[in-house]
Amino acid sequence: MSAESSSRRSGTGTLTAPSPWPVWPDGFDATPADRRALLVLSALRGATPRALIPIANRVGSASGVLAEIAAGRVGSENDAAFARSLDPAEIGAAARRCGARFVTWGSPDYPAQLRHIHDPPAALYVQGRETSGSEVLVAVVGARRCTSLGREIASAIGHGLGAAGATVVSGAARGIDAAAHEGALEAGGATLAVLGTGLDVGYPVGGRRLVERIRAAGTLVAEYAPGTPPHPWHFPARNRIVAGLCCATVVVEGAVGSGSMITAEHAMEFGRDVYAVPGAVTNPLSAVPMQLIREGATMIRGAEDLVNDLGLDSALEHPVAPREVPSEAERKVLDRLAGPTLPDVVASALSVGVPEVVGTLMRLELRGLVRSVGGRYEATLAGTRAGRRTRGQTD
Amino acid sequence: MYGCVNGVTVIGVRGHLVAVEAHIGRGLPSLTLTGQPGAAVQDARDRIRPAVESARLEWPLRRIVVNLSPGNLRKDGPGLDLPVAMGVLAASRQAPAARLDGWAFAGELSLKGDLVPTPGVLSAAIAAGRSGLRGIVVPSGNAAEASLVDGLEVVGASALSDVVAYFRGGWTPPAPTESAPASVVSWSVDLSEVRGQAQARRALEVAAAGGHNLLMIGSPGAGKTMLARRLATILPALSRDEALEVTQLHSVAGLLPGGLVRERPFRAPHHTVSAAGLLGGGSSFLRPGEVSLAHHGVLFLDELTEFRRDAVEGLRQPLEDGRVVIIRMAGSAEFPARFTLVAAANPCPCGFLGDPARRCVCRDDRIQTYAAKLSGPLVDRIDIRLTVPRLTRHELLGETPGEPSAAVRDRVEAARERQRRRYADLGLSSNAQLPGPAIRRLSRATPAAHELLAGAVDRHGLTGRGFDRALKVARTIADLADDDHVGADHVVEALAYRSSGTTHRLEHVG
Repeated sequence: MSAESSSRRSGTGTLTAPSPWPVWPDGFDATPADRRALLVLSALRGATPRALIPIANRVGSASGVLAEIAAGRVGSENDAAFARSLDPAEIGAAARRCGARFVTWGSPDYPAQLRHIHDPPAALYVQGRETSGSEVLVAVVGARRCTSLGREIASAIGHGLGAAGATVVSGAARGIDAAAHEGALEAGGATLAVLGTGLDVGYPVGGRRLVERIRAAGTLVAEYAPGTPPHPWHFPARNRIVAGLCCATVVVEGAVGSGSMITAEHAMEFGRDVYAVPGAVTNPLSAVPMQLIREGATMIRGAEDLVNDLGLDSALEHPVAPREVPSEAERKVLDRLAGPTLPDVVASALSVGVPEVVGTLMRLELRGLVRSVGGRYEATLAGTRAGRRTRGQTD
Repeated sequence: MYGCVNGVTVIGVRGHLVAVEAHIGRGLPSLTLTGQPGAAVQDARDRIRPAVESARLEWPLRRIVVNLSPGNLRKDGPGLDLPVAMGVLAASRQAPAARLDGWAFAGELSLKGDLVPTPGVLSAAIAAGRSGLRGIVVPSGNAAEASLVDGLEVVGASALSDVVAYFRGGWTPPAPTESAPASVVSWSVDLSEVRGQAQARRALEVAAAGGHNLLMIGSPGAGKTMLARRLATILPALSRDEALEVTQLHSVAGLLPGGLVRERPFRAPHHTVSAAGLLGGGSSFLRPGEVSLAHHGVLFLDELTEFRRDAVEGLRQPLEDGRVVIIRMAGSAEFPARFTLVAAANPCPCGFLGDPARRCVCRDDRIQTYAAKLSGPLVDRIDIRLTVPRLTRHELLGETPGEPSAAVRDRVEAARERQRRRYADLGLSSNAQLPGPAIRRLSRATPAAHELLAGAVDRHGLTGRGFDRALKVARTIADLADDDHVGADHVVEALAYRSSGTTHRLEHVG
C-alpha cells in the first residue's frame, strides 16, 4: 500500500480527480448569508453531511438547506426549532472568542485531502498554527487504555514524525493519541488534533492540558460549533476527519471494536496508506493492528520504518538521551525479557537467586531500560536498543 | 452474718482483684449487689440462688447484701458468679470461711450449679498470682489456662458442690492435665506449597525478618490469600511471654480452645467487620477486637478497599503504638495489638488492570477513585508493597515447589536476633519499629547505597517517607544477608518492594 504513497502525499495538486462520493456543490457557501447558515448548521444535532449533502445539491446553497430544516421539511422538530432560533452572529462571536477561524467548503484554506472523503464536513473550526498545503499529515491512533509499551511506541512515532517534519494528527484522546501528540511536541514538530466537541469545551477532562499545549503549539480542528458537548456519535464521525486529513494512518494498539479500527477502515476506504505496529498475538490490544496487517496494512516496527516508508527525511536521531550501556549481568537479564516475564523465570533461566534478579531488574528500571507490568518485567524501547547494541559489540 | 472471698474482674486484659463481701441480715428475702456491678454481674443475682439450691446447699431466706470492693471500679463479666455464691455460702457458714482465705474464685454458674467455661480466666489467675494468693478455683474447662501461672494452685471444678466439698475436705480435684509442652508448632500450611511467586515469597521473608507490614496488589486468583496465610508460619516462634499475652487475649475473647497458644495467630476478618469488631469494644463488657486477636501474629485484610473507612482509619493507633485504647462510658480498657499487617487489594475495581491475559473493563475515573482509596495514612505505614501477578498455567507448571517454612524461619530468626542486639538500647526489636530519623542514623548505609536512594528521590519521585521506608527494608535485607552495612544491592532490592499497583495510572499511589 505504501508504494503509491509518494504521489498522494505531495499535497493538493495530485488530488484533482473528482471524489467518488457525493460532495457539497460548488458555490454553496458563496454568499455571507450562506456562511451564516453554515455557522448555524454546525450547531445542529441532525445536520450531518450525510443527511445534508443531497439536499444541498438539490437547493444549491447553505442558506437554502437551513431554510429547508427551519421549515421542518428535513430533520427533526428539534433541529427545526434551533434552525429558526440560533443566532449565527453569536456562534461567530463564540468562535472568535476562542480564536477559531471558520473554514468553509469553498475556501482555499479548506484541506484538499478532506475533499476526497465521504461525508466531508461543510465547514471546520480551525484554531492555532496555520497548516500549509504541502505538509505531510500522518494520523497516529490507537487505544485509549493502552499498555505502557504502546504508549512508548506511539510517543517514539510521534517524535520521529515530528523530527522528520511531518504533522502528527490524532484525536487528543488519552493513551496512544496523547502519546503521539506528546512525542511530536517534544520533538518540536507540528501536531494537529481533531476534537469531537466544540473547540472550547475542554474534553476529555483528563486531557485538557494536552489540548492546551496543542492549542498553543499546534492546530485544533472541529466540525462542531463552539460549546457543542461530547456526544458519543461525534467520535466515530471525528475519526473520518482524522483519516481524511492524512495521507497515512498508523495504528499502534486497539482492541476489537475500538475507534482505531474505524479510523483505519476510513483511511483504507479513502485510499490512504495504513500502517500498523504488531504486538503479541495473546495481547487483546494487538487485535486491531494484527487484523489490519492481515488485510494488507504495512507492518512497521517503529518510527524508523514509518519514516523510511513515507520517504521522509530519515535523518532521524533516537529520542533517547544518553545511551545506556548495561553491564554484562544486566545484559543477560535484558536478553531474557521477551515480553512481560516473571523474575522467577529469569532467575531459573540464569541459575541465579531471585533477590539478585529482582535487584538487577530494579537497577535497569531505575535507568529506564525495563518496566514492571503487573508483577512481570519487560524491556522498554531503550532497553531493547541497549540490549541489541551491546550484543552487536560483543559478538 | 458476714463472709468475704476474693473474686476477679477483667478490664481489658488485666485482671483486678475484687473483695466480695456478703452480709446476711434481717428483712424480706432478697439479694442486693452494690459496688458498681455491670450488667453481666446484675444478671448473676437471679442465677445464683437456683445454682446454690441445685448444689443441695441452702439459700438463706433473709436479706442479703453483696458488696464488690473497691467501689470505684466497675465490675463486669460472668466470672463473678462463683465468688458471689461463695461469699453468700461463707456468710451463711456453709463453707469454712477461714479456709477460703488466700483463694480467688472465678467462673460462671449455670442454674444446675455447674461451673461453665468462662472467658478471661487466665487474666484472673495472673491477677491472683500477682496479689500473692495461694490458689484459684476455676471451671474445670479453664484449668489448663489457669495452670500457666507459675506458683499458683489451681482447682478446676465442674460444679459448685465440688467447690464447697473441696473446702470442707471431702473432694479432691483431678490433677490438671498439663498438655505436653510442644516445642515444635505444627502448622497446617507451609510456604513450600506456594508454586512460583518467588518474588512474593522473598517479600514475605523480608516482611517477617523486619516486622514490616505488607501490601499485595494483584488480580483475583493471584494467590494473595495463600501467601498471606503462610506469613505466620515463617515468623519466629513465640517466646513464652508472648505466648502468654496471646493466650490471655484469646481467653478474654472466649476463643481459647485449651492451654497455651503456641502458634502465631492469623486473623482474617471479613471486610464487612465493624470498627468495634476490628479494633475492640462493645457496649458494656469491652471485648478485644481482631487487631488484638492478631497480637504477635498476622492481621490479614483482604480487599482492603472494601473495608469501612472508620475501621481502617482506626488501625493507625495500633500500628503506631502496638495497642488499642477503648474508651466507653463504662470506662476505658487497653488491649495489646502489635501485629504484622498484610493487606491485599485488586489493582482496579474489576481486578484485571495490568493482567496480560485479561482486559480491564473499568472506566478511568473509577480506577482513579480506586487508586485514591489505596493511598492515605494507612497505606503510608506499609513498608513493603508488592504486585503479585496472576500466573498462567504455563508459568505454574514450570515451577518447582519452594523452600519449606522451617528453612525460611531459621533465616528470619537469625535476622531478628541481629536486630534485637542492635536495638537493645532503644527498647525496640525490629527494623519496622524504627522511627525515620533513627533509621537514617542506625542503618549504616554505604555511600553507594545512599547515592542510589538519593537518585531515586531526584529522578523517580521517591518521597521522604518513601526514602525512610526503602532504607528500613534495605536494612532488613542486609540483616538477612548477615551484613553490617546496607549496600547498593540491598537498596535496589528494597526499591523493588515499593510497587505502586500495576501501571502508570496507579503511579501516584505511594
